[in-house]
Amino acid sequence: MIPFPLAGQALATREVVAPPSDIPSGAVCLPSPEADASVSSAAVVSRLGGERGAVGAHGVGRTRTVAILATLLTTVACATLVHERRIEQALRFDRDVRAILADRCFSCHGPDEEKRKAGLRLDLEDGAREALEGGANSEFARRVASHDADEVMPPPKLKRPLSDAQRATLLRWASEGAAYMPHWAFVAPRKVEPPRTRNASWARDELDLHVLAALERAGLAPQPEADPRLLLRRASLVLTGLPPTPDEAEAFARDPSASEFARRVDAMLASARAAEHTATTWLDLARYADTHGYQTDGGSFTWPWRDWLLSALQSNMPYDQFVRAVLAGDLQPEADLGQRVATGFHRLHRMTEEGGSIAEEFRQEGIADRVGTFGTTFLGLTLECARCHDHKFDPLPTREFYALAAMFGSIDENGLKSYALPVNAPPPFVRLASEEQRLREQELRAALEQAQAQLALRRAEARTRLQSVRLAATAMQAPPPDAHWAFESLENGLVANLVTGAPPASVDRRRPEQLGQFALGEGKSGAGASFDGDGGLLLDGLAGFGRHDEISIALWIRPSERNARAAIVHASGFYTQDADASGIELELVDGHVRWSAIHFWPGSAASVRMREPLPLDIWTHLVVSYDGSSRASGLRIFVNGVPEIVEVVRDGLDGPLAGHTLELGSRSRGSGFRGGAIDELRVWKRALSSVQARELAILDGLGVAPGEFEAFEEHFAETLDEGVAAARAAVRSAQRELAAHLDGIPAFACMQDSAFAPPTFVLRRGAYDQPDASAAVAPGALEAVLPFDASLPRNREGLVRWMLDPRNPLVARVAVNRLWAQVFGRGLVETSENFGLQGSFPSNPELLDALAVDFARGDGTPQSAWNMRALLRRLVLSSTFRQDSRASTEKRALDPDNALLSRGPSVRMSAEMLRDSALAASGLLVEKLGGPSVRPWQPEGLWSDAGQNGHYQPDSGENAHRRSLYTFRKRTVPVPDMSVFDAGTREACMTRRGTTNTPLQTLAILNDPVFVECARALAERAAREAGTRVTRVERAFALACTRAPTSEESNALLELIASEVERFDADFEGARKLVGTPDAELAALALACSTILASDGAMVVR
Amino acid sequence: MNGAPLDRRGLLRGAGLGLGALALADILGAQEGARTRALQHAPRAKRIIYLFQAGGPSQFETFDHKPGLRALHGRPLPDSVRAGQRLTGMSGNQAVLPIAASFASFARHGESGLEVSELLPHTGRIADRLCVLRAVHTEAINHDPAITFLCSGSQIAGRPSLGSWLSYGLGSLNADLPAFVVLVSKDAIRDQPLYARLWGAGLLPSEHQGVQFRAGKEPVLFLGDPEGVGRDARRAMLDALARMGRDASTRERDPEIEARIAQAELAFRMQASVPEATDTSSENDATFELYGAGARDPGTFAANCLLARRLVERGVRFVQLFHQGWDQHGGLPGGIAHQCGQTDQASAALVQDLAARGLLDDTLVIWGGEFGRTTYCQGRMTAGDYGRDHHPRCFSMWLAGGGVRAGHVHGATDEFSYNIVDGGVHVHDLHATVLHLLGIDHERLTWLYQGRHFRLTDVAGRVVREMLA
Repeated sequence: MIPFPLAGQALATREVVAPPSDIPSGAVCLPSPEADASVSSAAVVSRLGGERGAVGAHGVGRTRTVAILATLLTTVACATLVHERRIEQALRFDRDVRAILADRCFSCHGPDEEKRKAGLRLDLEDGAREALEGGANSEFARRVASHDADEVMPPPKLKRPLSDAQRATLLRWASEGAAYMPHWAFVAPRKVEPPRTRNASWARDELDLHVLAALERAGLAPQPEADPRLLLRRASLVLTGLPPTPDEAEAFARDPSASEFARRVDAMLASARAAEHTATTWLDLARYADTHGYQTDGGSFTWPWRDWLLSALQSNMPYDQFVRAVLAGDLQPEADLGQRVATGFHRLHRMTEEGGSIAEEFRQEGIADRVGTFGTTFLGLTLECARCHDHKFDPLPTREFYALAAMFGSIDENGLKSYALPVNAPPPFVRLASEEQRLREQELRAALEQAQAQLALRRAEARTRLQSVRLAATAMQAPPPDAHWAFESLENGLVANLVTGAPPASVDRRRPEQLGQFALGEGKSGAGASFDGDGGLLLDGLAGFGRHDEISIALWIRPSERNARAAIVHASGFYTQDADASGIELELVDGHVRWSAIHFWPGSAASVRMREPLPLDIWTHLVVSYDGSSRASGLRIFVNGVPEIVEVVRDGLDGPLAGHTLELGSRSRGSGFRGGAIDELRVWKRALSSVQARELAILDGLGVAPGEFEAFEEHFAETLDEGVAAARAAVRSAQRELAAHLDGIPAFACMQDSAFAPPTFVLRRGAYDQPDASAAVAPGALEAVLPFDASLPRNREGLVRWMLDPRNPLVARVAVNRLWAQVFGRGLVETSENFGLQGSFPSNPELLDALAVDFARGDGTPQSAWNMRALLRRLVLSSTFRQDSRASTEKRALDPDNALLSRGPSVRMSAEMLRDSALAASGLLVEKLGGPSVRPWQPEGLWSDAGQNGHYQPDSGENAHRRSLYTFRKRTVPVPDMSVFDAGTREACMTRRGTTNTPLQTLAILNDPVFVECARALAERAAREAGTRVTRVERAFALACTRAPTSEESNALLELIASEVERFDADFEGARKLVGTPDAELAALALACSTILASDGAMVVR
Repeated sequence: MNGAPLDRRGLLRGAGLGLGALALADILGAQEGARTRALQHAPRAKRIIYLFQAGGPSQFETFDHKPGLRALHGRPLPDSVRAGQRLTGMSGNQAVLPIAASFASFARHGESGLEVSELLPHTGRIADRLCVLRAVHTEAINHDPAITFLCSGSQIAGRPSLGSWLSYGLGSLNADLPAFVVLVSKDAIRDQPLYARLWGAGLLPSEHQGVQFRAGKEPVLFLGDPEGVGRDARRAMLDALARMGRDASTRERDPEIEARIAQAELAFRMQASVPEATDTSSENDATFELYGAGARDPGTFAANCLLARRLVERGVRFVQLFHQGWDQHGGLPGGIAHQCGQTDQASAALVQDLAARGLLDDTLVIWGGEFGRTTYCQGRMTAGDYGRDHHPRCFSMWLAGGGVRAGHVHGATDEFSYNIVDGGVHVHDLHATVLHLLGIDHERLTWLYQGRHFRLTDVAGRVVREMLA
């Protein structure tokens, strides 16, 4: 039923990328960990004491390198403490200076024109020239160095004074001539010759040369290669999120050759596990969850996007194709289902269904979310800053934010989910048809076309016959209506229906919020219906009109004001405004008659409206008809007997109508017909012809000019000719069958441009209700990044081409950095969410650029460009990755965050990896690709205790043990063992997670029933697979940690078991509670397993 | 990445918990400076209990007496009052907006003569301890954005909540309990849901997120040892874990390992300290009577008020209670009487109890919702019944203790309680003032994320000096 039946799908062809042949492999130099201890320990002290928060301190994590550099640059203060090689480094504007200017100066002297003080602009060389003239004696230097509170810059009221180190840097820069450089990230990456290194045998890959050169500059040497078991474990964890089995590790330890490692890495990369692991990063970026995120936070149908993602990753879709599918899949010629679903990326943001929400507010929130998510994910820019004002730090003006808003606001939706309707996919959507369903649709469409051809034939025949027929006057009249109210009396809240046997209309809307009262007043003849805007009538008996049902309504109508919105006849409430409107709907909008058939407004509706407003204070004869065709052309309006030329408001009805009972003159939480009057309301369950509408007006006392001959033709054919009637019935029947088929196929919200999408305006201060309506904003991109070529289409496809242009400086770097972070635990640009001026400087810019160029360009062979799998392979096979993660205390002090890559990576596993690895080690893990999200066990009452409605019903069976990326994510009630391990709420785009360390984490690992179950199963498995206490401990440890325990670890666990066996021997009941059987040995082993799962060896990638 | 908190806590403990000790923290992490520099003056309050009344309590039936509306009851709201300000989609389409006078009468209380509704008799009795704000205003008009705004200073999801800012800025006063605890009333009408983001850490490291204490035998998720595992066994496991950790630490020389061992020890202590804190059985009958019906039933608002007192006594920095059910679009008289009946006595009791224990001086108590309600009736209006829609332009809150001016009313609204006449307090101002009372300059407590220094008060906020004692 679902288009991505990944389960059971054949694995993608294994792709083997040959390592670059010019890189020597083999002999590895093994410097001792202590080799780098030459650096004075005083330098370490100075670093700790230095101004750490000053430069480039960033959200999650620390940028010690930059801080170190800042410290080093205060050469005056601590020259003697600093390693000599560092001092030689010249001041570099883009690395050392701009970050200070950006953080402390640009908010007043930067790109934001409105906030700029004294006309001074320090972000541009031209704007700053005057202030910097005179170097050390410049106005700039004087103000920065000043001790006078009125003079000093930045001013004290900014409350972020310069540190001594920062001040020294700025003064040195000014005195050295104040050279500017463009921001590194806005200059296209360029590959430089790989650096020469003293150690000629260590590098396997060009990337190693960059790393090694940086290490040598810092006086450091790389670590020796890690133990093969741990290397395999590390590779497996960073590529697949799961550890290898002990047997795999031992086999590799027996043959740890480069070719064997490459073979195993290739197998990992080709596995579904790898797709599942890498997907998590993308799910964070896509703010992917299973609920819509606001207020009641009900379910949202999103998992097909996750499955598309898995299929794209597993087939190693090149990144350029991936970007194109995600951002503009729908715009591709003959876009396939996968490409349509991929665009769901931009429909995964939160949506509200809270009653009373203002549609435009949430439409704009959604668009801003798309722009921000796009910027963070693909450009590494903080575009959202430019929503309200020009970006304070980066050259991103507000109008360019809205140029991107025009790109992503091009779909026809109003930002709200429905409160009352079970609509999972607010249009636009694509139906997720299986191949079988698609074939069936083709059949049904063919049948419909045939029926339509028949109808055309019958109509033509009928028209020929009309030449010889003379119509009797009675044949032109409308048949008796199905309901008729003359509004002459109101008794017991009822208005009589003049059609025999038809139910009366009633004033009771059965809702408490009715404020006003329906009443009778002066009618067209005698009494009539009079409305106050709140009170109305329920037209009992008139319900269930579907999209292929005919209907006509005739009435006299007299508005007394030009109503902005006034419900005349409709079938829905207005809880979340038009998002709840479904059914047929006759309204006044700004005084104009609007006549609609609505599935979900605005993206799935047919609607027309009169060009002129209804006249006030006089009676107008109105007939509206709908022929059941689902098209705007089937909606007709007759005013005083004359067909009205209408404007098409919407013409894309693509789903069922809710079909509640029709209501007259009022609407729950919507505007009723305030000040209006209606008389002689008649309803037919058929479409009247224009001749009948005309005759109706004549009968009702209006003098109407004779109709055109075409009208008689139509009347005769549609109303009197039996052949046409039969053919028309056949068409409706074919339409109903097709609709029933389509409506049975799940719809999935995606992107689809619409001519009806509202134009984009710059919003003042970002406020939805303050558009600068003087000029609509055309779609566009970011000039400072790369001018938008005039030849590109001004749509999302054009945007993708702009992104993939080799001159685009950001896209490849951001992608490479993300994959680097997946492998090494942190990006070369640590602030992977921000490559702008306030972002951190790359720890190794030449390396980042070389990788980015190679990534985008490939090696000239097919499929080598934008090849994510090949890049991951390259990173994991590098000498840099293979290093031992252990290092001396001294080396750690010099490279505390491993920014220089002086050792192998080590990072605490993510929430998903922790649970999945525990499940895998214990043998409980159920590996099954894709499908609906699953509900593993969660604490009873979790949702209600958190103040949310709804109840979490855990799944039983295999769904309890699927990988964590499939776990149902409710945005307002995060999964506890995920949020404790920093998994985030998926309310907004997230590029990297924190790795906090809290007591709640220990409680989760040791006490969460999921982990306790894993410990028990791990113990059972170890007991099954090994015979003695010692071997069982070794087995369990190896299953969880992929290595043998050290003797100390082993002893600790064995002593634990010994003491606990004794305890359980005296408490069989306790053992039974823990492991289900009164087996003290097993219970004690389970406690040991629990301890293993909480240990460093199991929780940390090393 | 963020291994520092433990070291910091350890340091703080060693240094005797004084706020001055935070200067030491300056050297421990890249962003530490931001919080140390935030402490600009001696704090008046050390801790906060925030009684959040979710749903938007009506000011007309609680603290903003508008006797003049009696004469206008049922008449349409003059357009000049609304002046085109936006309404929600719920009542914005009503044909008429008839004024609804409060059904509840008001009386003056205490020396301050504070006017309090008859629905809040107990609160009336503590009138002289209250600083009532009558002109709080917010920007959002619907529940979700509005409550998110009150709790995090932003309508956008993903910003740190007030409590997580305090956890980050000040830490806990008791290393064995979380700095930020959340309690949700189980006896409330769940008309509007709550969201974990209201106590989330947002951009801050997740260690600062609020920890929800649940009613029942496991106050904190996963606090209890698994069945069959006793305390001795757990102790033995942690000993083994520490041994393994030290072994790993010798090899790896990674300070994170030591930090994790210490966190495991802290978890062990929490397993004792949390049940001790949440077990109210040692409280005497007079205390239960003070808090009123429900105080003996864990999870009720009354029991949570009592628990909040116990938690701040033990050094929890910020306790936030959430009580839902104030969203009376229709049937307001009955609805609000019920809400007041559920919360009045315990709220007042909490203030009295804190005062009696000498804790009120440096404990700030805050009472209020996410917005007020309209002067006009939403929906059906009968002789004894009416409803009110959301109203962000003005609403009432109160604060007590912790350095606020007692027996004082700040701010005034017009005769319709539609617009502010004087003393408006924006949500950012409220936050700035609350932080000020804790010794924090709201402009200096920042977190750098995506290149921007984020604050609880965004780019606004003013300390409302008139509220300070």
